[in-house]
Amino acid sequence: MRRAARCPRAWLVVLGLTSLVAWSVLALNGSGLTLPVFCSADMLWAAPLSVSFDLALVFNPPAQIASGWALMVAAMMLPLLVAPLRHVRDRSFARRRARAMLLFVAGYMVAWMIAGVGLQAMALAARWAAPEPLLCFGLAAAAAALWQVSPAKQWCLNRCHRQPHLAAFGAAADRDAFEFGLTNGASCVGACWALMLLPLLAGHGHFFAMIAVTLFIFAERLESPAPLAWRWRGPGKALRIVAAQARIQLAPRNRLGETSS
Amino acid sequence: MGHTDMTYTRKNVLELGGDWADPILWYARGVKAMKARALNEPTGWRFFGAIHGIDQGLWQQLGYLSSSDPMPSSADIATYWNQCQHGSWFFLPWHRGYLLALEAVVRDAVVKLGGPADWALPYWNYFKPNENQLPPAFASADWPDGSGDNPLYVPQRYGPNNDGNVNVPMDQVNLTALGDPDFTGDANGGSPGFGGVDTGFSHNGQVHGGIETQPHDQVHVSVGGGDPESGLPGLMSDPDTAGLDPIFWLHHANIDRLWEVWRQNPSTDMDPSDPNWINGPPAVGDPAFTMPMPGGVSWTYTPGDLSDLSKLNYIYDDVSPPAGTPQLAARLQRLGVNMATAAAPVRSTAMAGPKTVELLGANTQSLRVTGMAASTSLTLDTAVQRKVTTSLQSAAAAAQPAPDRIFLNLENVRGANDATAFNVYINVPEGDDPAKHPELKAGTIALFGVRKATGADAQHAGDGLTFVLEITHVIDTLHLAGALNVSQLHVRLVPLNPVPEAAQISIGRISVFRQST
Repeated sequence: MRRAARCPRAWLVVLGLTSLVAWSVLALNGSGLTLPVFCSADMLWAAPLSVSFDLALVFNPPAQIASGWALMVAAMMLPLLVAPLRHVRDRSFARRRARAMLLFVAGYMVAWMIAGVGLQAMALAARWAAPEPLLCFGLAAAAAALWQVSPAKQWCLNRCHRQPHLAAFGAAADRDAFEFGLTNGASCVGACWALMLLPLLAGHGHFFAMIAVTLFIFAERLESPAPLAWRWRGPGKALRIVAAQARIQLAPRNRLGETSS
Repeated sequence: MGHTDMTYTRKNVLELGGDWADPILWYARGVKAMKARALNEPTGWRFFGAIHGIDQGLWQQLGYLSSSDPMPSSADIATYWNQCQHGSWFFLPWHRGYLLALEAVVRDAVVKLGGPADWALPYWNYFKPNENQLPPAFASADWPDGSGDNPLYVPQRYGPNNDGNVNVPMDQVNLTALGDPDFTGDANGGSPGFGGVDTGFSHNGQVHGGIETQPHDQVHVSVGGGDPESGLPGLMSDPDTAGLDPIFWLHHANIDRLWEVWRQNPSTDMDPSDPNWINGPPAVGDPAFTMPMPGGVSWTYTPGDLSDLSKLNYIYDDVSPPAGTPQLAARLQRLGVNMATAAAPVRSTAMAGPKTVELLGANTQSLRVTGMAASTSLTLDTAVQRKVTTSLQSAAAAAQPAPDRIFLNLENVRGANDATAFNVYINVPEGDDPAKHPELKAGTIALFGVRKATGADAQHAGDGLTFVLEITHVIDTLHLAGALNVSQLHVRLVPLNPVPEAAQISIGRISVFRQST
């Protein structure tokens, strides 16, 4: 029975495929997103910051930046939405499920698109301030590491696990689904903004940085909410899950080793 | 855990032959020995209480922690403390191991004091006629010789009416969960199962399982209650203090016994076969269940280790099912099904899956619960309602052996005080006393764990708890009375004691779901 209940549902397949398509488009596009394009224009970093911004927008029309960013968010973040989307689906009338889930995703994407403006500007400013690519990337990695160990990061992560009550009928149901997406997205931005700077500043390693950051973000989301504190947060639980599940699949009768003393 | 050839028998505490029969007297002596140990000793009483949960501020307020107490090492705290499993399919196996460890530590103390080597923890079966009053040995501040430091007594037990009369009112508890054929439930609005929901890779369940909601949660709050003067909960009312009360262990022995009752009646009731349940939290990357044992050793266990009572070294003296017709058969009779033809496939059909669960209706505003009453109306979706009616009619025509089950969900229940409980009624006529309509009673809910689940920056996300009540019997009643074809259901909450404003009890949404089998 549990096996049957665990068959992938259509919405999970759609979610996974959407993310895969986004990854494929980014892969086929080569550099994928905007800042790697800036890299070839060394003159950008010699000009004053305001001029650099203007030149960046000349080389990269806003629509192109926005679509690239949307693809990047879709590829990296959609896999994180399984739990909140399940909540939206479970708590909505069957006839409204697809609509509510789409509204949730729309709200989530709005949060990240707004954040994208700030993050792109931040990345551009970082490159302007530290034109040496390796130095710039190193500074961003240090900032991400500092954010990673901070209580503020935990505050955001805890809110990524929120599952609020949702109105069931009419405009209120639409509004709640959208707002849930928006607040979940905002929490996600808070948790992941520093990590998301890394692919933007990784130059030719952009695509691989995206993959690494995606795996890291997905792994850390598996952790339960926790008290706010300065401490390291990494993919420990994810690694333990992989190891345990591998042992379960390989062990006779699906049992881990005897643990009773 | 050490293996032994001896079989220990857990017996009914009120049928041992006296208020202070030997097993109780030895339990008291064992508890006294444990209480004499310092906070940082793993076999100490307070250490064991903290294994279930500890809120240092609350412990200090209640006088169970002072600045002079030596704290355990950070490694011991990380390994042992705050382990309790609620809102999870690990609820039953984790507590079984917790009981076994406590029982071993008490027995070790009992034997060292010259007591019987086969001492076993008694259980408190409050469901038996005239056995719902707190066992007398726990209610007296004195030992049987009149000396006044009975370790089984704690003053912070306020009872169901917060007046110090400690009992479990029979109209506030039920054994409905025993009729659920599935151990594992889902957090999707349908049945949370007998044993709880599969929490997957997450560890912070929001939905309490069937046996956890009733009778477990309710007995905790009935016994513990709250101090009407200070507003503080009784020890049993809050998971962070419950393990400090010696009656906790007899209550949980009864819950543990009910697990075995469920498994044996009928024998088709099976524990999960999912490796993620059998192997416990390590299968999903979380720490293993670990208990301190006598002799300075620790014991690590999995649900699979403890599932089968016949492979453990203890038994219960009574695992007979509650009297009465099995619930599903009784339901079909109620709906007019010819039992001669329908009874056989009933159980197997009920167990077949997967199940379809969908929202049937909901209210539109969050509900604040204060004082002695709160009410709301649930608007029903016409199309889904039609499916329910068709299912009930088909059952009566014996075309469908297992009609829809209906579940009321109190979603995102938040608050600051666990010592809160209320009766829930459906469609009681305006002006009528709900107590006069037991046929319309959905059930009783106790908010055991709500304070912790409301805090945002701890082990929960802060969304509170979601309680699921099966209201199939009420829907059947309305259906048979021709009163189901309505656009709304009216839900009335009747708190068992006035809910103070300071308790900040709110219910995010009340909804109703259908589950087809």
